[in-house]
Amino acid sequence: MMDNSEGAQLRPGLWDTVNERYPGSMIVSADDVALVPLTRPIREARVAFVSSAGVQPRGTLPFDVVHPVGDYSFRRVPSTSRVEDLEIHQLKYPTDGAARDLNVIFPIERLQELAAEGAIGGLTPEFFSFIGYNMDPVSFERTLAQELADAVVAEQPDVVLLAPA
Amino acid sequence: MSITVALDVTERAKPPRAVFVPFRMGHHFGVPFHRSLQRRIIMDALAYVEHARISGDVHRLPITWAQARREGLELEAAFPYRR
Repeated sequence: MMDNSEGAQLRPGLWDTVNERYPGSMIVSADDVALVPLTRPIREARVAFVSSAGVQPRGTLPFDVVHPVGDYSFRRVPSTSRVEDLEIHQLKYPTDGAARDLNVIFPIERLQELAAEGAIGGLTPEFFSFIGYNMDPVSFERTLAQELADAVVAEQPDVVLLAPA
Repeated sequence: MSITVALDVTERAKPPRAVFVPFRMGHHFGVPFHRSLQRRIIMDALAYVEHARISGDVHRLPITWAQARREGLELEAAFPYRR
């Protein structure tokens, strides 16, 4: 087992490994994005959550996890959802922990608790999820990323937490 | 604010704010049923939203996967009937 005592990345060389296997698929940003200051304290902030874990409400169209270049759609996940009403359609990361407790990758119950306790101001009505296996970064940026960004902004969050699975 | 387990990927993608947790892929918020750790990662990430000063910097949270696993196993031993 790899020594993780210093807090190093548990699976090193991930970018190089994926880029070698799927040349050109990995995103590189040349520029820094300017920081937008938070306009209110966290305890008053409305929080959105976005995940590439492929989490979706049961009964919605499953993500296409075997498409050769990926699925560029996203799903809305009501922030009031119970974990029992959600499921994962994604093959590209270990889901053994999430199968026992979805909160290890999609911490909806913890966010609901923090909002109820007043540690954060509240939650946007909708959270969002997609799958990270998308092999065309140009299509990803022009379709999924843009449409998803528009949908998130429409929820009027103060803070967006993103967990790229 | 990105919460990442892939430091090398995040350093290239350059989200304006990010925290790194040295956990397994698919386990960004820790281990099953470890509620306090899951909450801590969320709140530490939110705190960094307020404290970040340089775009692209990745803040490392001071915890290891071994510590998270050990605490998770202790919790499950104490409460073996969790779902």
